[in-house]
Amino acid sequence: MRILAYFKVTPDYEALRESEWSAAAGRVPSSGGGEGTSRGPSADGGAGPGRGEHAGPADGVDTRYVRRILDCFDESALEIALRLSDALVGRGRAAGLGALSIGAPGAEPHLKTLLALGFERAARVHTEAALDFAPAATAALIAAYAGRIDRSDLLVLGARSSPGGGGTVPFRVAEQLGWPCLTQVTEVEPLADGRLRVTLMGDDGLQRLTARTPCVLAVGNAVVSHLRVPTLTDRLAVRDRQPDVLEPADLGVDLADVLRREGPSLAALEGIDRHREGVLIAGDTPRAKAQALFDARLKSLLEEL
Amino acid sequence: MRFTVVMDGTSAGAADGTPAGAGEGTADRTADGPSGGIHRRAAALGAFLRDGLKSDSAGASRGAIDAQLAGDTLVFYSDERAKDRLVALAPTRDVRLVRIEARRPERMAALLSARAEGGQTDLFLFAGGPAGTELATRLACRSGGQALSEVLSAETAPDRLSCRRSIYSGHLTGRFELSARPWCVAVDPSWADAGGSETVAHTIVSAIDETGGGGPDPFEDRERMEAPSSEDLAGSSFVVVAGSGAGDRQGVRRIAAAAREMGATFGVTRPVAMNAWAPMDRLIGVSGARTAPALCIVAGASGAPAFFWGIERASLIVAVNTDEHAPIVGEADLVLLDDAVAVLEELAAIVAAEREKR
Amino acid sequence: MPLSREAIVEGLQRIVEPGDVVTDEQILVESSVDNFRKLQNIFNVHTMPVPAAVVMARSTEKVVELLRFADEHGVNVIPRTGATATEGGLESAVADSVIIDGSAMNEIVSIDAYNMQATCQCGVPLQVLEDRVRELGLTTGHSPQSKPVAHMGGLVATRSIGQFSTLYGGIEDMVVGLEAVFPGGQVTRIKNVPRRAAGPDIRHVVIGNEGALCFITEVTVKLFPYFPENNTFLGWTLKDMATGFAVLRDVMVNGYKPSVARVYDPGDAGLHFSHFAAEDDCVLLFMAEGAAGIAKATAEGIQAIVDKHPECTQVPSEYIETWFNDLCWDASKITAEDERIRQTRNVNRTTEISADWSSINDIYQAARARIIAEIPDITMMGGHSSHSYINGTNMYFNYFFNVVDVGPEEETSKYYLPIIGIICEETLKRGGSIVHHHGMGKARAPWVKDEYGSSYYVLETLKHAFDPNGIMNKGTIIPL
Ligand SMILES: Cc1cc2nc3c(=O)[nH]c(=O)nc-3n(C[C@H](O)[C@H](O)[C@H](O)COP(=O)(O)OP(=O)(O)OC[C@H]3O[C@@H](n4cnc5c(N)ncnc54)[C@H](O)[C@@H]3O)c2cc1C
Ligand SMILES: Cc1cc2nc3c(=O)[nH]c(=O)nc-3n(C[C@H](O)[C@H](O)[C@H](O)COP(=O)(O)OP(=O)(O)OC[C@H]3O[C@@H](n4cnc5c(N)ncnc54)[C@H](O)[C@@H]3O)c2cc1C
Repeated sequence: MRILAYFKVTPDYEALRESEWSAAAGRVPSSGGGEGTSRGPSADGGAGPGRGEHAGPADGVDTRYVRRILDCFDESALEIALRLSDALVGRGRAAGLGALSIGAPGAEPHLKTLLALGFERAARVHTEAALDFAPAATAALIAAYAGRIDRSDLLVLGARSSPGGGGTVPFRVAEQLGWPCLTQVTEVEPLADGRLRVTLMGDDGLQRLTARTPCVLAVGNAVVSHLRVPTLTDRLAVRDRQPDVLEPADLGVDLADVLRREGPSLAALEGIDRHREGVLIAGDTPRAKAQALFDARLKSLLEEL
Repeated sequence: MRFTVVMDGTSAGAADGTPAGAGEGTADRTADGPSGGIHRRAAALGAFLRDGLKSDSAGASRGAIDAQLAGDTLVFYSDERAKDRLVALAPTRDVRLVRIEARRPERMAALLSARAEGGQTDLFLFAGGPAGTELATRLACRSGGQALSEVLSAETAPDRLSCRRSIYSGHLTGRFELSARPWCVAVDPSWADAGGSETVAHTIVSAIDETGGGGPDPFEDRERMEAPSSEDLAGSSFVVVAGSGAGDRQGVRRIAAAAREMGATFGVTRPVAMNAWAPMDRLIGVSGARTAPALCIVAGASGAPAFFWGIERASLIVAVNTDEHAPIVGEADLVLLDDAVAVLEELAAIVAAEREKR
Repeated sequence: MPLSREAIVEGLQRIVEPGDVVTDEQILVESSVDNFRKLQNIFNVHTMPVPAAVVMARSTEKVVELLRFADEHGVNVIPRTGATATEGGLESAVADSVIIDGSAMNEIVSIDAYNMQATCQCGVPLQVLEDRVRELGLTTGHSPQSKPVAHMGGLVATRSIGQFSTLYGGIEDMVVGLEAVFPGGQVTRIKNVPRRAAGPDIRHVVIGNEGALCFITEVTVKLFPYFPENNTFLGWTLKDMATGFAVLRDVMVNGYKPSVARVYDPGDAGLHFSHFAAEDDCVLLFMAEGAAGIAKATAEGIQAIVDKHPECTQVPSEYIETWFNDLCWDASKITAEDERIRQTRNVNRTTEISADWSSINDIYQAARARIIAEIPDITMMGGHSSHSYINGTNMYFNYFFNVVDVGPEEETSKYYLPIIGIICEETLKRGGSIVHHHGMGKARAPWVKDEYGSSYYVLETLKHAFDPNGIMNKGTIIPL
């Protein structure tokens, strides 16, 4: 089984302050056509000052100054792929494990980490544009890499990304490859005959089913959510290996053209007003506060319900 | 503008119909089993047409589309008995029936795509959730149209469809424009609770049988797990949420017990689920359920956007938190500054005592 | 004859409300360790003696009675407030210990904005005090990373230090007076005055005692005006730590008082700054604060000094400001970190030491090289200097390792203690101090005589004088 895990490196959105979000609200992303609106060092082609410009953003959410992390569902996907690969190796069904990321060099350190963790292949498809809101372009690149370059037969990736979050990328890739696709996957186990036993949280709750490769598995709220960490010795062992860097053209993808046709386009960002009164229910003890709450509102409300 | 509402009444191939087990904190709504979800999702489409889709086409004043006449409903179904109930939920007069042996997304997308070829349908509307997203996406890929999932509301214009959906994990809302047709829209799962539309007299304009045409199921040995779904959360009128302020597994259990005592549906924030202090199906927020209860008590959660998204539509939010500066304090209607477990247990005792009295 | 567990519990119940004597087995077991053996709590495998009870003290009077009882019966007492200790200070070294928990003594007694001092009970979380004084435009100036979770009593007891120490100092520079209870039940109040020369400064008998001499019930700390609008951030990348230390020294020696002055080595920088620093970059950063003129002059002075080092490349200050805003560890970050450890068995540990300018780089290089060579399964070995003085600075070693082939309860013996050992050896060899701010606890107590040298006499005498029956936090500072 030739496994490919796709991951994305994103700004740590949780580290952005509320004021950043309110500043972004109302901004109109300047370019339509699926151009990403998240701007950061990853969007200017290099890490570090001097290499990118530091002017304030005209559009989108200003994430230039927060650190980069593995997108959370993708991190799950990477560890699940590793565990699957370990299990297959244990059964003598040696799985070639590969990792792919798309974007600026921000993903490079993570790709090196994956090499140190035993991924055999690590590749980055270089794009200048952030593809946060370009699921079709993202999918076109993943599918082209998996199908034409890597010739993988299992693709594991996160069910959704934190910026876009639409969850359509796995299905788009599946369409292009002609593979079936499962989403909201929480566990994957190999069966003796090479098939996979997959657990997922579907529309109607938790299900388990058996999948044959090739297929796409999109990982959702899995209990496995952290990627293991390589030792310095592991890193040393792959010191001389560099991730492959490919251009979209190397995959036969005309990115500019795909982006031109990309849609829907993000036309505006709107803030969310979460403010409510926050009336304090006072009391000396938890009991007194609970009683005050009950008397004031809950009694009548619960009678209605 | 013409639209087609796609109702997916098929089940994912599990012919067993095992009822979702009622686990910790699961109260109501599991009675009608998994198919209950199918009907709720189907009903959501009517609600979306009525309240979520606006037209600003010239002449007509901005307002609802004439849902009954401007489109039709396509019902995929496997089971004859289930069909009628779905048809009854169709928001349009015209209904087309497609029978298929089980959920086969690729086959269904192919059928839809053939239908889209005529160019008569501008908008295909799908239910929320993974299945609806899959169909919308696959159809857009095949028909050259554009897909958007988790749509909160939409507005038509002559040359495009403008849709709103949550982005950045609940931090912002994005307005997206769909240009190339057909527009393939999967509504936000929270529409499932917006109440169905009025009953419509239906005309079955076509009925085709596609059973056997779909090839084998790419997935085998399906088994529904003995675990509850999070559906009870979406439909509940009273939700109690435990956040990491519950302290530990024991604290979460105690809040869950208090919720049960009060007849509330129990939910948790992501860290609580991630720490395995509660099952993942209890998760509320952008990665879990979106609720719309009359009453929501949030115990020991900070009110992060990704979480708040899941309770935003609650009529009354009560926050119990030890930190007066926690964001949830400004996001709640009523605030109790105290220990989450202590307050919830006291409250449960008061509610129980009141019940005794009557 | 030592008292039985039951007799201890009964005795405690006669002193405080029965509900204030906690004997829940799980709570006791979890209270047998602190962050030093945190893996025991994370994986729920416990090997330490289980305490007899956790008793909630609600007043100085109760502390008096509790300490009298313990002293009379030779019961080992472990004072506790925020329970964030990292060095084993809360660990029960002997069976049937009693943890006296002061977290319910959480009243802010007074905030005196004229005399610029605030008095609070030991269980006031620093964050709560800081939020209250901020409403008045003031600050305590104390900002350890554990600010959201540590309490005033513990912060004084460990001689803690905050992120703004280069301007405001450590807790020892902030405490003007306090109240403490000694084993026989003796209450000591040290009054709040600007300075005194009436003999030795006895505040220092209490500050940093780690619960091994007395129980701190109340503290009074200084207040400072707060001008967040003047905060100025500066940052650079550079290629080696020696240059970083040299720049820090220049800044200190030239008399500037930035609130934050740090240099990160490449490993540690990789954890925080990989979005702008290359893999082999060190990061140097400063924050200037205070009244407008001071903040401006400080920032300009530092800029001029670093400009003389062409090997430093300046980065936009927003990087530093954004990093800074997300620095403190609240309860949820700690829970998330525990979960990360549970899943990956990759553990993060820290050890902080101090030394003069001539030795600090050598200690850093030597300890780092030895740890990488001698300790297995290291995934990151790095650190930063975060508190500088006119005569030297600290080194905060920050390291991660995978726990492999042993149970979580053996993590300390296989990895953590051997690493601490190397750091202590390399530090002592060069005349540094093996503890900069976390306290000796029980983890570094074995090195106490090497740390103190001939001055150990004073420490030992203090211990014998104030705790003749040896009931205060056995094994802490001075090993069993
Ligand atoms: C892509 C992505 C998706 C996400 N999806 C979701 C999601 O679907 N749902 C979700 O919940 N989160 C989600 N998150 C995480 C979210 O951003 C927050 O981190 C999370 O909601 C915080 O959970 P919490 O409120 O329980 O914990 P915290 O933020 O740690 O808050 C705990 C609160 O408890 C209070 N407290 C502490 N002790 C007590 C006590 N004794 N009594 C009362 N109160 C106390 C504290 O003051 C604090 O306010 C997502 C994040 C990302 C990046
Ligand atoms: C995430 C994290 C970040 C940290 N960052 C910093 C930092 O930036 N700077 C820093 O200096 N430290 C830091 N620490 C260490 C720790 O927070 C400090 O040592 C703090 O001072 C402990 O306060 P506490 O209230 O939690 O004390 P506890 O953990 O309860 O106790 C600490 C020690 O003091 C004794 N003690 C506690 N209360 C009393 C009392 N009333 N009377 C007498 N003795 C008492 C205890 O017996 C124990 O030996 C950090 C710890 C964590 C977990």
